Amino acid sequence: MKRLFPVLLLFTMIVQFSSCEKDDICVEGDTPLLVVGFYDIVDTTFKSVNNLRIRALDNDSILGLESAEEFGFSDRANSPDSIFLPLRIDAMTTQFEFILDSADDDQDATIDTGNIDTLTFDYLVNEQFVSRACGFVANFNDLDTTRQVFSTDWIKGINILDTTITNSNLIHVQIFH
Amino acid sequence: MSRYFISLFFILTALMVRAQEEVAKKDTITRKYSYGLRVGVDLSRPTLSFLNDNYTGLELVGDFRLTERWWLAAELGNEERQQEETAGALPLYTYTSSGSYIKVGADYNTYTNWFGMRNQIHIGGRYAFSTFSQTLENFRFFESNRFFSPDEFVLGSETSQEFSGLNASWLEFVVGMKAEIFKNMYVGISARLGHLITNGEDDNFRNLWIPGFNKVTEGAKWGVGYNYTLSYFLPLYKKVKKKKEVQDRAPNGQ
Repeated sequence: MKRLFPVLLLFTMIVQFSSCEKDDICVEGDTPLLVVGFYDIVDTTFKSVNNLRIRALDNDSILGLESAEEFGFSDRANSPDSIFLPLRIDAMTTQFEFILDSADDDQDATIDTGNIDTLTFDYLVNEQFVSRACGFVANFNDLDTTRQVFSTDWIKGINILDTTITNSNLIHVQIFH
Repeated sequence: MSRYFISLFFILTALMVRAQEEVAKKDTITRKYSYGLRVGVDLSRPTLSFLNDNYTGLELVGDFRLTERWWLAAELGNEERQQEETAGALPLYTYTSSGSYIKVGADYNTYTNWFGMRNQIHIGGRYAFSTFSQTLENFRFFESNRFFSPDEFVLGSETSQEFSGLNASWLEFVVGMKAEIFKNMYVGISARLGHLITNGEDDNFRNLWIPGFNKVTEGAKWGVGYNYTLSYFLPLYKKVKKKKEVQDRAPNGQ
């Protein structure tokens, strides 16, 4: 029996070992967000956008309504230097309305009295395997922006710093105003 | 009277000495131990195949008695398993691992049997090698903020994609026991702890489940497995072992 115990102990330990697996919670990666920075057109330093509202036209939803953490800003607040934008994975294009000085019209709350500029982002979607718990995330390549330019636009210029979006650490797109 | 006693004492002493000699003779009796090949099958894998739609597997086991306590041991198996990974309740991707493996090594019997019993409590090691393929059946893009698809992750592909020519090798520590239930018929159980040595992966997908090794954990190289075997011992030849020592502790008496 003396010999049996250590063997049984080892046996139990091995069986126990199998239950000591890392929890299957994804912490290793995520589909990145597009990082947009706001700059002064004159001296190209960071410049906040007053009462910024961003509406995604694809699902007609307003960003930053629930929390400021999600996209780095709150709806209709003065923007920080940079914000995050989600890109559609199931399409190669995502459209946003950038609204400066956003406010509701006194008579009709569905009308925004702010200055509305529409921006379209075009890109390619690639998949990347991250880990067991995360599976695949999307990366975006060949980023490009298009917009119709009017003299009333508050956006004066756009510069793409990085056409490949694999993380949300640095600014990809500069907006000058 | 005393003379009578003394002569009786001598007679008894003589008898005792004789008896002692007989005992000693009995202890040097030669014992035969059978050597041979034991072949069997793992019962857990066919059972799981029957119970689980997403798994099929078979493992053949065999060991050959080398010495009193050492056995050469090997396992040969084939497994296929489909698994789905989720984030919470939302499906992420489904993949199938399919392939064969061989494990070769030795077992050492630590159990001291009474003469005539042939049971084993063994520890041992294996070198194992597996060749396999992984098929990604479908996948969705993980995205922590699902602004455009609040209900589910965006589908990436439903076309299955095969990653073939994968291989892995690992060292395995084995602990287990075998009991003879009928003559030459054994049931056994063993637990295994594997440590990956090589892991040949595709660049675009990781080896998540290796046949014979089981789940590959993130950041660690340990795999855990087990089997329940039913095997038959084919006695091929017998070896005679002389017992010289008086105390009768037959190691591994078989």
